[in-house]
Amino acid sequence: MLGTSQLTGYAASQTLSNNLASPDSFADIADQDARSAAIFTELGKVLTHPRCMNCHPAGDRPRQGEGAWRRLHQPPVARGADGHGLEAMRCSICHGYANFEPGRMPGHPEWHLAPREMGWEGKTLAEICEQLRDPARNGGRKGEDLIHHIGEDTLVGWAWHPGFGRSPVPGTQQQAGALVAAWVKTGAACPAK
Amino acid sequence: MTRLAITINGRAIEPLEVRDDLSMNDFLREYLGMTGTKFGCGAAQCLSCAIIVDNPDGTSYASPTCVVPAASFDGKAIRTIEGHAKNGELTALQKAFIDHFAFQCGYCTAGFLNEAQVLLERLAKKPVARAALEETIAEALDGQICRCTGYIKYHQAVRDVILADPQRYLA
Repeated sequence: MLGTSQLTGYAASQTLSNNLASPDSFADIADQDARSAAIFTELGKVLTHPRCMNCHPAGDRPRQGEGAWRRLHQPPVARGADGHGLEAMRCSICHGYANFEPGRMPGHPEWHLAPREMGWEGKTLAEICEQLRDPARNGGRKGEDLIHHIGEDTLVGWAWHPGFGRSPVPGTQQQAGALVAAWVKTGAACPAK
Repeated sequence: MTRLAITINGRAIEPLEVRDDLSMNDFLREYLGMTGTKFGCGAAQCLSCAIIVDNPDGTSYASPTCVVPAASFDGKAIRTIEGHAKNGELTALQKAFIDHFAFQCGYCTAGFLNEAQVLLERLAKKPVARAALEETIAEALDGQICRCTGYIKYHQAVRDVILADPQRYLA
């Protein structure tokens, strides 16, 4: 019998990197925990994408860019007391209500960093999974709140429409929400690594 | 298109129709001919293009103009480098910049001056202890880039203005 990590790796590898597999794709995995973990691994393509990770940093400074160009945010901004930047440089000073393509500037009315306890940077998918299950480290969210946050929150949704020169996260927000819902429904099991 | 109504340096500008993809930097420089605001990196990384935005509550903040649409300033009051001196009289901050030769090529100076002015106005409302002053100045000017590396002189100029009026700026 295949172990959980092997199963999740198999399921995740069946999709192109810019697509997301549907929850139904995992129906053949009989063991519910293994199926749940496999679904989360698929969701991991979204969670670990630079569009998400850059504003879920381990420290107080977000990152920007991707691949070889991924770096600490310039100009040097920091989290601040409320996650919306320091008093002298609030996120909203540059980041407007929407992307501003002529300036290559991403935007959303609520542009801000994820809380410090929700930092994902440098963590394995298993660690991120455990974190997402822990209300103390997921913004006090229950399962249905996570489904809404990833599947419907418009700031999260920006990651699928990031604007000039930025690669969007795989799939669609609706597909990601469906994966979260399936993961929660199957017991919110975590991959082994 | 957006009908942009804005107050610049205390003067209400006749509302103008602007394209929604027009940057604030282009609006100032190309529509109004106010070239004191510079265009540097074009990516909000050097902040040589920074201007001052006045909030209705009397507070202010510095904002880049190169990556921000002009339309987003509709209804706002801003100040640019052209608005510092009054009747030909330089401000204490401008004089301190000159005294310290706090510029070399001068391209980033407008941004530094605006950011430093915002700092002074913030300190006037919320003074800091002398011990925290260096860090406060460094943090406030942290985003400005000077390719001539004139940072020390900029910081000295700002520090001098603050120390010259401790009752106003220091707790």
